[in-house]
Amino acid sequence: MSEAPVREQEHELDTSWMDQMGEWGIKAKPGKRGLTLAEIQIGEYGELPETTDNMTGRPRGATPRPEAYRVGAYGVRNLSEIWLENATFLYEEALQRQWSSATDIPWHTIEPLPDDIEEAECLLCTFFNEVEFVAGDVPARWIAKTSPDFFEARHVLIAQVMDEARHMDVFRKRALANGGGLMRMSGATSGFIGSIDLARDFTEMSTRLHISGEGAVLTMFRMGELMGQNDAEKRMYRLCAQDEARHVAFGVMHLRFLCEHAPERRPEIECYLDEAEAQIMAGLQNPAGTQAETSEALAILLGGGKAHYDEGHKMLLVIRRRQLKEYMKRVQSAGFGERFENGRSSIPEQYAAAY
Amino acid sequence: MARFPSEAWFKEVQEVYNSDSSLHTGGGGACETTAAFKVGDECYRIVFEGHQCLEIRSASEAELASPETDFIIEMAPELWKAMVENIQEHGAAHDDQTLNSIDLRQDDSIAYSPEDDQARQDLFYRFNQNFQDFFDASSRVETTFD
Repeated sequence: MSEAPVREQEHELDTSWMDQMGEWGIKAKPGKRGLTLAEIQIGEYGELPETTDNMTGRPRGATPRPEAYRVGAYGVRNLSEIWLENATFLYEEALQRQWSSATDIPWHTIEPLPDDIEEAECLLCTFFNEVEFVAGDVPARWIAKTSPDFFEARHVLIAQVMDEARHMDVFRKRALANGGGLMRMSGATSGFIGSIDLARDFTEMSTRLHISGEGAVLTMFRMGELMGQNDAEKRMYRLCAQDEARHVAFGVMHLRFLCEHAPERRPEIECYLDEAEAQIMAGLQNPAGTQAETSEALAILLGGGKAHYDEGHKMLLVIRRRQLKEYMKRVQSAGFGERFENGRSSIPEQYAAAY
Repeated sequence: MARFPSEAWFKEVQEVYNSDSSLHTGGGGACETTAAFKVGDECYRIVFEGHQCLEIRSASEAELASPETDFIIEMAPELWKAMVENIQEHGAAHDDQTLNSIDLRQDDSIAYSPEDDQARQDLFYRFNQNFQDFFDASSRVETTFD
């Protein structure tokens, strides 16, 4: 028999919480693509504040609790600082297009390669491991800094962190799968790429990471199909490119939103682009540039070995032109295309010279 | 036996693609886009919705240029033919005959936005695996060429 004291006093059940509700009677209905985030942006739940003072982690649309602690030191509290029009779409796309590095890559197609080819591939895998750490770590820091009222944009960043974890693991797996291993680190996480993490403002970070950094890496991932020596490598790069293109889309669409809703910030954004163009899009900091170790590895892989370096380098230059052109068109799509016509940007000259 | 390129050929590919989910490979999940193919003078409009190719049909050039079209894949007829022949021979695009590989070997992208919007052209990269899976499904379609 329990020794716990028997409480004889009866208490009235307090159900006053039942009267504390957000907008009620909501009936979200699945659309053609299921019950997506877009389908639940209804009533007050779909109303986005231009500025929020929600510091308590209160879910958007829930009733405030006056005594709630200020659990979040949210620095991002203005819509224009982080929003993009297609956030719900990008999030659902990310969820529905996940893949597994364990089972979706035909690892059995990998066969022993000549040393120079294996070393070049392993150098790239080492490099991608380094930069994808940055691409995962940095958005992760901003997730916790963003008000939960803008959860759709946060969700896209959370999905990005998952994508980057997969990219890190797939390149690590490739490096360790064929008699090679990791090479000397590139140090790419210092300099401009490392400076992405120094951004004090989300848009500054996004401009550096999503548009400049990931835009450049997207081109490299796409090149994977040309330089891959087997179906495993080709598929690995192709699937990574899809993810990376989604991350780039976040940056472009966010910058477009900011440009339209906070035009007073245009001069500041131009400076971020100046900085990116002087570094990651130009010389040593560009992994597909003209001097970096990574570009040598790319040329060896594209050419089919050290003996065909020149041939590979020519292919690399063609692709680099494409990289520069696509960068310009993305910046134009985001609303900052004038810089390529008014002489502010040197990218048109680099593009013309990249033969 | 269907002739490439023709609406009948694309519709046969659509049927194969939609009827066998094993053709939707990892990374080729839900896809939402309206795109188009140009093979010489012939134009086709394709709509993907979720895991299905919802529509593929002949279209006019003017229709392709409408704001609905995210991007157009345009190649010389001989490039299209080489790609389809390669898929027929190997069961899926082999070596340098994937859409992405073909694209990277050209000076300019084979995919472009009729509105010259890179964000929409980038959908070719975001949904690349679906388009590859779609064309790889053509390995099961008996094909003749002009």
